[in-house]
Amino acid sequence: MTSRVTKKKLIKVTIDGKTCKGEFGDTILKIARAHNIYIPTMCYLTKVEPIASCRMCVVNVEGVEGMILSCQEKAVDGAVITTNNDEIFKQRQNIMKLYDVNHPLECGVCDKSGECDLQNKTMEFEVSAQSFTTKDRHRPVENWGFISYDPTLCIMCEKCVRVCTEIIGDEALAISAGGYNSTIINTKPNGECSECGECMAVCPVGALVSSDFKYSTNAWELTQIPASCSHCSAVCEMNYEVKQKSISNPTEAIFRVTNNFEFSSLCGAGRFGYDFENSNISKDAQAFSKAQDAFKGAQTIRFSATISNEEALMLQKLKERRGIQLVCDEAYGYQSFLNAFSSITGESLYSSNLGKLSKSRGIIIFGARINDDAPMVKYHINMASKHHRARVAYMHPIEDGSIQNIITQFIKYEVGSEEGAAALLAHTLLDEKKVPKKIRAYLDDLDIGHLSAESNIGEEELSQLKRSLLKKAGFTLVVGADLYNHPKAANIAKLLGIIELYSDFELLLVPPATNALGVALICDLDKEASGFTVGYNAQGDFTLSALGGGDLDMPAMNQQEGTFTSLNKQVVPTNAALPYGGYVLNDIISALGHRSEHTIDYTKQLPTGKGYSTIDFDSLPNYYEITGAEHRGYHLASQVCEKSGFIEPVSALPTYDGIVLYQCNEGNQFSPFTYKTKQLNSLPQLKGSQQFAAISKLKEGERVRFALQDIEYLRVFTIDTSMKGTVAINPTYDMGLSAASVSYYRFFQPKFEIMDGNNE
Amino acid sequence: MSLEEFKNRNVGQQTYKMVQSDPTPKTGKEQFEQVVRRAFKGELFVGLYVTLREMINALFRGEMHTIKYPFEKLPISPRYRAIHDMLRLLESGHYRCIGCGLCEKICISNCIKMDTRYDENQRKEVSEYTINFGRCIFCGYCAEVCPELAIVHGARYETASEQRASFSLFEDMLTPIDALKLQQEYDGFGAISPNADQNIKKTPLAY
Repeated sequence: MTSRVTKKKLIKVTIDGKTCKGEFGDTILKIARAHNIYIPTMCYLTKVEPIASCRMCVVNVEGVEGMILSCQEKAVDGAVITTNNDEIFKQRQNIMKLYDVNHPLECGVCDKSGECDLQNKTMEFEVSAQSFTTKDRHRPVENWGFISYDPTLCIMCEKCVRVCTEIIGDEALAISAGGYNSTIINTKPNGECSECGECMAVCPVGALVSSDFKYSTNAWELTQIPASCSHCSAVCEMNYEVKQKSISNPTEAIFRVTNNFEFSSLCGAGRFGYDFENSNISKDAQAFSKAQDAFKGAQTIRFSATISNEEALMLQKLKERRGIQLVCDEAYGYQSFLNAFSSITGESLYSSNLGKLSKSRGIIIFGARINDDAPMVKYHINMASKHHRARVAYMHPIEDGSIQNIITQFIKYEVGSEEGAAALLAHTLLDEKKVPKKIRAYLDDLDIGHLSAESNIGEEELSQLKRSLLKKAGFTLVVGADLYNHPKAANIAKLLGIIELYSDFELLLVPPATNALGVALICDLDKEASGFTVGYNAQGDFTLSALGGGDLDMPAMNQQEGTFTSLNKQVVPTNAALPYGGYVLNDIISALGHRSEHTIDYTKQLPTGKGYSTIDFDSLPNYYEITGAEHRGYHLASQVCEKSGFIEPVSALPTYDGIVLYQCNEGNQFSPFTYKTKQLNSLPQLKGSQQFAAISKLKEGERVRFALQDIEYLRVFTIDTSMKGTVAINPTYDMGLSAASVSYYRFFQPKFEIMDGNNE
Repeated sequence: MSLEEFKNRNVGQQTYKMVQSDPTPKTGKEQFEQVVRRAFKGELFVGLYVTLREMINALFRGEMHTIKYPFEKLPISPRYRAIHDMLRLLESGHYRCIGCGLCEKICISNCIKMDTRYDENQRKEVSEYTINFGRCIFCGYCAEVCPELAIVHGARYETASEQRASFSLFEDMLTPIDALKLQQEYDGFGAISPNADQNIKKTPLAY
């Protein structure tokens, strides 16, 4: 597959008398859309392969008999295409007549009314009466958790099935074919799918709607606020849709989240976890003056990485002026990792991004429980798997059942042996590659047998991995949060650095928290807090909290404007969806004498030395073109760094015998902010396998207490039969301000204190 | 009358008729005679009789014409657009409003607000509905757009209130359930046309 590299041939076609240019291999529809020529479609969704179930997009091509489906037919150079005439109109009108047969006339109450494709096209093709009929049968509404499915409204366009398979990779939805009686069936109805809501977003009619949003308001009553999701580092594009809460309570509330589903996706946290605002806050002058005193007396500011670039810059400037230490536990490990990585590659940033990832033919995931850590990355891996048949190798100590369908090889390594695994990976991927003598000597010196035994990665597994990547092009190595706080993180980063530099692989270092990349680039972080500490969404002697309950309230990310640095190495803007009556960080910084009217005044001051541009916040775009071209903020420019890194020999690998806990927020939970939302109300539990229960002597439903880094966890233990091994999963999302203080290697061995069931 | 005729202001040339009247008395005697003639002609008693008759009719025969407003009110044309009424279905007694929000959308003075929710019977329930009569201009668009003939203009035309903005909630406008029998169909603004039956196209049924 070398077509990726070679430049595509340009072609010219005439559509409705207009000469249009396109690339060889483009469909007629794609070229038409790029030139603003309208072809109606019902089932076409840009981000998936053409579905071709509606046949609305028919066009005439001169010299070709009959009508042609423009969504899947590739344009031929010189073709003369007619997109509309009486015959085509009639054809489309007939399709609409058939779609409308027995479609319930409940537009008056339907959630989709006003933004419904069926409604629009019925009007467009002038279908005012039903002329066909068929016998209907009772098809009750099904409830799938966050989503409810009404089969009578469904037009069987298959969009939902396709996104579930091609984009999300859950493969939960399927079609039960049976002519007029066809329906969509959910094979994982009770929360077994990832509950991303993507099927609901793409549904052109009101068949798939949010159970929570259902009937709460009409689409046209909502005001759309373009924003970026603040739950993880993918920082996806989305719109908050706001309206006054109710007649008796005129304060604004977010009713739902929508996105540009033609081209981009959202995970469940983004779509359903939107109401994390810090509400009913007014200006508390007393607390504000205390906050100023706290900042004046502070030796350390500890903050969470769920922070905008502008706020991070404010804190950094404060550090430069006043010598205050900055501690961001979520980003510190990542910053050190990135620095060590850059010291080998000579570039300040990694080279891959989500776009490249979704076009890769070979993918290795290393050190991340990717489906839970960064769902968006998983979706892109799935796209690569589905659209390009990518080989996907998953390297992790714990098997993950939820991505089993997309991975082609699971390589299990021992907890703690990441350094060995990285060395083995470097040895495998750089084999037969041109590398400098020093590195070749280093690789040759590696005791492969020993590393393989210690890390439990079989040599045959590695050779299988190598074989599977033969004759392919376009590789991505996805690196996750397990490695950033590893005791040997720096050396792992350097080993990965040589993979980036000398192999065909491009690396994607997934930031461990929303703006961890931004904080890592903007702030000069310190490892440990000392003295009087001000905590911003983190634990401290004086706390500023957007979660409520702190010494001074702060706006949550849906009440703030600013920018984030995404894992795509992109600076993307977000806007305030909800009003906020209290003080913001800029007020405190201004009161301390560093005046600035708005937080976003800092946007153009972001450090250019780190790749940022001096662009005003208000000039940052945030939209998609009809062709799918993304215009969101700007891309960071990678900076040239000094190649001063030196790879140390792999030290003795630590062993973790017995039971181990893994810090991981599963499913749609990411942080205390997702936990705060109404719909994402999963119970934080310690989840382990049968084997874990046997070794730890914990019973189902038993309450345990354990501590890590002064943070005490109180958990109910549950046995998850789908899990294997001696590693249990411990979430942190319910830990409030402490959740941002986790800076430890993700695997740890706890001392359990079993609590009496009746004792509180 | 043609335009030219209409524009002709030359009074006297048209076919006016002069009112016949007695010649104006000239001497004192003639004036005295006219007074006596007019005073004793008996027309005075005709007038008194008419008044007496109406008094008797009103007091004893139940033909009183005086409306004791505000205790009594004149009936008003259905075309008049007064305070809104919310009607109920005659069969079930359930309110007709389905919460589609079209009245809220079309309202040009932005005075209608509604809250809806998903109720226990899987229906869209109107949990709250209000019209700000301080802003309402009684244009009748809401009644016209309503697909269910649920919101109509009623006959309550007194809109004076102590406050500039006076609100009405759903319950205030809804036909009381015990007065369902008395609920009138509305023929005014937005009512179905008299030939509605002829305009209906029937949906073919397979069973």
